[in-house]
Amino acid sequence: MTRWFEDIDIDEPFPLGSHSFTEEEIIRFGRLYDPQYFHVDPEAAKFSHFGGLVASGWHTVTVGHRRMVDALFAEEDRLRSLGREPGVSGPSPGVNKMEFKVPVRPGDTVTYTLIVTGKRPSNSIPGWGLLFNAIDAVNQRGELVYHAELVGFSKLRDYKMPLSLRFLSALTRLPVLGKLMRPKTG
Amino acid sequence: MVDVYVNPMNPVTANRRHYEDLAVGEVLDIGHTTVSKDMIIAFATEFDPFPFHLDEEAAKASLLGGLASSGWQTAALSLRMLGESFLNTIASMGGLGFSDLKWKKPVMVGDTIGGTATITGLRRSRHHPERGIVTLDFDVRNQRGEPVMSMRLANLIGLRDPGVPLIEGENP
Repeated sequence: MTRWFEDIDIDEPFPLGSHSFTEEEIIRFGRLYDPQYFHVDPEAAKFSHFGGLVASGWHTVTVGHRRMVDALFAEEDRLRSLGREPGVSGPSPGVNKMEFKVPVRPGDTVTYTLIVTGKRPSNSIPGWGLLFNAIDAVNQRGELVYHAELVGFSKLRDYKMPLSLRFLSALTRLPVLGKLMRPKTG
Repeated sequence: MVDVYVNPMNPVTANRRHYEDLAVGEVLDIGHTTVSKDMIIAFATEFDPFPFHLDEEAAKASLLGGLASSGWQTAALSLRMLGESFLNTIASMGGLGFSDLKWKKPVMVGDTIGGTATITGLRRSRHHPERGIVTLDFDVRNQRGEPVMSMRLANLIGLRDPGVPLIEGENP
């Protein structure tokens, strides 16, 4: 979440909100990214073991990601309204685990919750911390739709860059050297 | 006495490859896709509206160093390539999930991504005799051959002959 690394509480549930999936958007996502017959063709989908159209698991996950981004922006606004400076989020290095449990059908409403289960300063990118995030997505019947374990970046507020690194950082801002030296995310 | 499961004929997948037709070690060419600025902004607007996926100046100032696709877009495009090259040619019964997804290098505007998926596992479902699980390891690279993403995907696949009993040790 868009708090400074130091301010992120472990194991505090952070609600990300809900999304209702329509048949139209399930088919649109399926055609673009997961064109299997049970994601794009309601008639053919009746022959599948799902018995009808279901959303791609990747659709429910990317919508969950959008819910998280919106929740981070809302948290940023909330902190500003309290007169506090929000932190900075960075790109994610990856996902350790994603388990699709119950399929999402047209008309289902999925509610997403984020829990930070652990954190540590990054070894590879000075000034940033790694967050170990779990997201659970649950449908309107309380059934688990997916469980995810992801990694994220958050900036350290209290970080003081050592002089040697400040020198290197200045070098990476030079056009040619910077290309060679820019660290990979991770 | 083994319960014989009668597979109701699914006309959509009847002529596709089933569990029995796959082998561990098979390397699938998933083809490639060029990622345009419009694609990056369209996906980010809907699913990942961080400034570093939407705005060139904000992107330059970020860890990504320039306008780059959402990692979820890189993954979704890889999935589409797998769908067209493989999942739509087998009796797929949907995904179970994935693990060890690593975004190794940002995918920048104009990059062409593609690569392979290798079958690294095949096992029968313990509870559903008509289902098998195929594990695929993705190796997605850019046009310079640099790895941009890897992941291990687990997908369900139908058996042509579910009546064949599960052999001890077949499902570790």
